[in-house]
Amino acid sequence: MLRYNFKYEWLLLIRNRWIQLLSILLFFLFGFAVYNGIQKVEARQATINNALDDLKTQETATLAVLDSLENGQKVSLSRWRLPSRPVVIGNYLPRVVHMPAKSTAFIATGQSDLFAHYVKPTVTGDDLSISYTEMTSPVQLLFGSFDLAFVIIYLLPLLIIAFSFNVLAAERESGTLKLLASQPIRIRTWVLQKLGLRFFWLILCISVTLIIVFAISSFDFAANWSALLTLLGYIIVYALFWFVLAFATNIWIHSSAKNAIALIGFWVIFVLLSPSILNQLSTSLYPMPSRTLMLNQMRTLKAEASKKQDEILDSYLRDHPEYAINDSTQTRNFYHRYMATQNLVKEELRPVVEKFDTQLRKQQEWAYTFSWLSPALVVQNGLNRLAGTSEKDYQSFKSQSLAFATQWRDFFLPYMFNNQEFKKSDYKNLPAFAHEYQESGNLLSMIGLLMMSVIVVVLVFALKPKKSPINIVAS
Amino acid sequence: MILHTFRKETKELWRDGRVRIAFVIVLLLTAIAVFISTNHYENINAQYVEASANEREVWDNQGEKNPHSAAHYGTYAFKPKYPLSLIDQGVDKYAGTSIFLEAHNRNEAQFIAASDQTGLARFGDLTPDFILLFIIPLLLILIAYNSITKEKERGTLTLLNSQGAVGWKIVFGKWLAIFFPVFIILFVLFLITGLILSNLPDFGVFSWSSLMTLFIAYIIYYSIFINLVLIISATVKKSGIALVLSLSVWILICLVLPKAASNLAEYKYPYPTRQEFAENIAKDRKLGLDGHNPWSAAAKKLEEETLKEYGVDSLSQLPFNYDAYRMQKGEEHEAEIYFKHYKLLKTQYSNQSSIYKILAIVSPYLPTRFLSMAIAKTDYNTHWDFSDAAENYRIQTQKFLNDHFAKESKLGEWDFKADAGFWKQLPKFNYEPPSLLETMKTNSASIIIMLIWVFGSFTALFFTTKSL
Repeated sequence: MLRYNFKYEWLLLIRNRWIQLLSILLFFLFGFAVYNGIQKVEARQATINNALDDLKTQETATLAVLDSLENGQKVSLSRWRLPSRPVVIGNYLPRVVHMPAKSTAFIATGQSDLFAHYVKPTVTGDDLSISYTEMTSPVQLLFGSFDLAFVIIYLLPLLIIAFSFNVLAAERESGTLKLLASQPIRIRTWVLQKLGLRFFWLILCISVTLIIVFAISSFDFAANWSALLTLLGYIIVYALFWFVLAFATNIWIHSSAKNAIALIGFWVIFVLLSPSILNQLSTSLYPMPSRTLMLNQMRTLKAEASKKQDEILDSYLRDHPEYAINDSTQTRNFYHRYMATQNLVKEELRPVVEKFDTQLRKQQEWAYTFSWLSPALVVQNGLNRLAGTSEKDYQSFKSQSLAFATQWRDFFLPYMFNNQEFKKSDYKNLPAFAHEYQESGNLLSMIGLLMMSVIVVVLVFALKPKKSPINIVAS
Repeated sequence: MILHTFRKETKELWRDGRVRIAFVIVLLLTAIAVFISTNHYENINAQYVEASANEREVWDNQGEKNPHSAAHYGTYAFKPKYPLSLIDQGVDKYAGTSIFLEAHNRNEAQFIAASDQTGLARFGDLTPDFILLFIIPLLLILIAYNSITKEKERGTLTLLNSQGAVGWKIVFGKWLAIFFPVFIILFVLFLITGLILSNLPDFGVFSWSSLMTLFIAYIIYYSIFINLVLIISATVKKSGIALVLSLSVWILICLVLPKAASNLAEYKYPYPTRQEFAENIAKDRKLGLDGHNPWSAAAKKLEEETLKEYGVDSLSQLPFNYDAYRMQKGEEHEAEIYFKHYKLLKTQYSNQSSIYKILAIVSPYLPTRFLSMAIAKTDYNTHWDFSDAAENYRIQTQKFLNDHFAKESKLGEWDFKADAGFWKQLPKFNYEPPSLLETMKTNSASIIIMLIWVFGSFTALFFTTKSL
């Protein structure tokens, strides 16, 4: 029976142009989405490269000046811009602390339109003044981006619904169900086979069009085959879930319009409502403290600190006797007081800043736990992780770059407090930054999704529909 | 005829369990959304009041200080939240709330709420605008998709025709029946919002006329949707197909086109990154007058000009502190550079807006979204307006400080300190958002496109259903 089903379904799908239509539609959707994604990634990479190039030029110029200085030549720079002053190097030649795009970044825009991909921490700048948000039109942030993740999460289920909502009901409505019932096969098995075949063809169409689109956009298959497999894995389990839902509604509900309504209802719940409700709950359960009030606190602290700068410097030097001893000149200028004060303010603000981080972490944990309520969320999280554009990736970049900022500052502190000149030979000792992505398992999410589908199928076979489906037509 | 159809359809809809459940769910969601938004609004407002007061206190009590040190110390401008943000949060989540006003620099608004939330925030919030713009059109589809196809499927259309019923009259009756429940939801929502807002302590900023305008905008939006769904229902034979088609239209209008528009806008008219923007400004600033650098060519030129203007031979003979005067000139020059670069940014945004406007011709969601945000004062234009007002205030503040410095001190007197009481004389920052009329003017394109949509779709509906 499966063999006949397979053959006739194939003929049917080809003859009513289902497969052709689906392939063309998928091709355009995937094509447009991948094109958009690649545009964004290229723009992102270009700005990083520009910044790196700029740094190189500045570097060469600075090294030349340092060279002249060390050879006793005159340079045409005002005294306070001389690169032999460590604070000048630390402030005017900051490293481009950047987060290079993953090769899969085009798959999901995620948070990449909201956050910056490089920062330049300076010696005298404080952590709070580093801006991690990108300059994007808020309208764009509001509307979001047409990326591959959007096609998969929002549109794919609708395609599945459009092509599967009336598998059984259409037979009933056109009166062929009685013929079907006379065949030696259970209705449920027949629907399962029919939907299974549609699922098979859909996945085949998706895989082929996706690979064609990827090939056109010169995707490096050899290096990224595992990412491609992960992506296909997510698509398969997600599509399977929707087919299983379609199967359940086909069995339980008897008119095609009602089927469509039920499936759309699921779509609204899983894709539209549950994310917004979960978000609302997470922000209500773990509310963020007020940023504006944090500003107030920071300002008051800074104002107090600047009034007692001299005392702060004294106690700082008491804590760091190495600075007081090693310097023969013992001159103390604005920057010494500033750095000491800066340190104090940072320490005092730490609990306030940490409160934000803990609240955000709690929100995230909560959101991740409850994302199991909606397959759409599981897939979105998975794809963002795969693309390296999830909020976790940006948070990790933030903490990595802040750690680097401290390292950068600490590098210059001894120079500044010892009133030591910066030499050309010191240049190669400057700390360098390399961003690392944290890998996270995708297998668990996929297995979880698979389990959801299995549960629905088991439920359908365990619970019989209320009435015998054949009688409905007769009545 | 129209009235009969209306009565019959309303009764039928009410008896349909699905519609009743959907109706109740939407009402419930709306109630939750309003409740959450009210809390949010009151919270943010309290924070705003507290932060503004605190900031002013810090400014007023700086003690004796050099005016230019005070200028570097700076102050903050906080963006107020407007009452109708209760209905439409607009881009508030994606635009910063506070701007640091200091000497020499124009700063961007800081603290974007979305960056302090999880990735879930990007799916949207459960706010009234989410329900108004996405969910209620879905409810409309649910109510209306089969209103004509069911007559065809049951064969009652022939009966109706044989009775001499006129196509458009039946359709108009059905139109009213579909519109009625949505109108009730909308009316209740807006009435409750109006009552909540007029009972809040800062009733002054809220206006019923803005609320009414918003109400009318949504009525038009829903009318367009009803027309579209009825056109589909009239041209298609089967209910299932009508439903799937209507949903596809909904997805296209509400989800796909806005996203595609945003991609297109960014691709054609990209914004610079924050760093690039800052570097471009820094490059321009290097070329011009720097208030802190008396040795640059621009500074020398200013020196000569000033001496000539006052007819004296040395700076110390000037009737004011030339250092402070140069600082002010430098400030003015820097303000001009910022003005230029922000103008470029604005041009880029208005170019982007033109793309949104073009696509609004295919998606009525876009003009409604923009109009709704504008009326609620949560749109990008209002944000620009606020940011410009803050910049003007910053320029005024700098002038106020530098003038005092110039008048009260002598050349080279960098250790001059202004009295502790001086800071209180600085006028407070007071931001007035654009009025409803101005908003309507700037958004006239959206209004025109919406009107074209509603008239166009009514005409199309009339002609497709003239004879059923």
